[in-house]
Amino acid sequence: MACIDRASPALKQILLKLYRDSSSLIYSAEKSIEIDHHLYEFGSVEYHIQSQASNPLVAYLSLSIPPLCHGTLPNTLSSYTIEKIKGICPNLVEIEEPAREGFQLTLKLNLDHIPRNKDYVKVIEDISTIQSVILSSQLKEILWNVNSDDAVQGMYKPIKVVYHPREPFFVIRQPQKIIAIFPIRFKEKSDVIIATAFFQELVDVGNSDKWIKTPPCSWSAIPPPELRGEAFEDLNTNGGFVSFEISSRHVEGNRLDKTVWNLLNFNANVRYHVKSTKGFIHRRMRKRLENLVQVLHQTNSEENEQTKQVKKHQGCRYTKKLVKSSKHTMKQRWRTLGRKIKRIPFRLKIHGFTRFRQRWLRFPKFSSTKYTKLE
Amino acid sequence: MGSTLRLYLTCIRNTLHAAMCLQNFPCQEVERHNKPEVELKSSPELLLNPVVICRNEAEKCLIETSINSLRISLKVKQADELENILTKKFLRFLSMRAEAFQVLRRKPVQGYDISFLITNYHCEEMQKQKLIDFIVQFMEDIDKEISELKMSVNTRGRLVATEFLKQFI
Repeated sequence: MACIDRASPALKQILLKLYRDSSSLIYSAEKSIEIDHHLYEFGSVEYHIQSQASNPLVAYLSLSIPPLCHGTLPNTLSSYTIEKIKGICPNLVEIEEPAREGFQLTLKLNLDHIPRNKDYVKVIEDISTIQSVILSSQLKEILWNVNSDDAVQGMYKPIKVVYHPREPFFVIRQPQKIIAIFPIRFKEKSDVIIATAFFQELVDVGNSDKWIKTPPCSWSAIPPPELRGEAFEDLNTNGGFVSFEISSRHVEGNRLDKTVWNLLNFNANVRYHVKSTKGFIHRRMRKRLENLVQVLHQTNSEENEQTKQVKKHQGCRYTKKLVKSSKHTMKQRWRTLGRKIKRIPFRLKIHGFTRFRQRWLRFPKFSSTKYTKLE
Repeated sequence: MGSTLRLYLTCIRNTLHAAMCLQNFPCQEVERHNKPEVELKSSPELLLNPVVICRNEAEKCLIETSINSLRISLKVKQADELENILTKKFLRFLSMRAEAFQVLRRKPVQGYDISFLITNYHCEEMQKQKLIDFIVQFMEDIDKEISELKMSVNTRGRLVATEFLKQFI
């Protein structure tokens, strides 16, 4: 799945590390370390970041990116794209000619030109958006230049744009508008259904009066007539086709950049929504399970309480029974207790005290039977 | 609660009340074994006639009774594809955690979405009335949960769609 952020997170992290290392070198006499990173994104975009120990304040960033549209654009970067790249950070970024072998573009980054205040994060983030800048400018070029001959003849041939190898989409330029058509494919059926529910909402919202300024969108299970004649594998989908009609209003000034980025990331947005909805369903199910189990456990605990109460009542009954017992039994128990106390040995031995105790410190006798000490 | 649903649930409650008179009964075929007869179905004299209570074609309940066990199978309403996957996901989630419920069967009876197996031991451990209440409550909750989940998924979709379209302005 493509990354929705414009900046590449991995590239940003590496550049931040590079910057921190280089700034620490300025203030201390530490020995610099050589950096050589190869980085792949979405399986087809390759970055190579290199910094030499001899010159730690300069880093080289090389980039290899597959063309957005085969046949329409050359493999080398156009002058418009190069202008856009130069515009990222004019002082800091220089384009190296020729590019390193195996890459389409090599940039020389002057790390000492990065501001030392808090703005350095923003500058590095801007450099990390290099891939999105190239792709956006390529799509803009496609929208501007192609099909001019076809348009004259009244035929508008779809252009296949491959932002991600498995998620191509089509752009059709018409006199008053540009139509972007996204074939939707998912591996799981549940994903298709969640995505379909989302498309229905998208169509409802997009066609409401409140959102009249946004591009009108539509969803159909079968390929739209504009794609007639395209290859079968491109039209074979399980999630249908989503179309956006882009008018001149949506590509004016700053809006062009936003529109292009939204079109490039539509598939990624849909996939992210499906994934997070599945997570939401799972969270909710887990919560519900707890509630349902609680109902059953309440049944158990109530029953236990009842059992306890029964036992408690049994205890009361026992006390009542004890109170109600006959006088004879009470006397017998009292006598047993007295006997036990008498048998307790005294530590101090006083001559004649035992006899004294037996005679004067006696417990009252309740029984008629007399105790006789065995001599 | 709708009147048809109330009638449906009352009917199930009364049937369960009548069917849940279970007693300990050792297996007739294996010595010193005690098995739920409704699952084995080896002795027809120990089984009662199964009862099917239907609200409509999509919603029904099968109650199978034997001398020492009772099996309740439910088919939950699935109006569209979204409800279908939500029901499947939810009931599979519950079946995977059947040990938490004690009376839930891991695999539903064919043609139904979820099954419960209540034995005489469950009736001895828990109160009969409470068990019936639990089954009926479960049926109510499942219906409510599925419709709430469906609404939540649609609401989330609408919010995401709004946020996406907002970026064009």
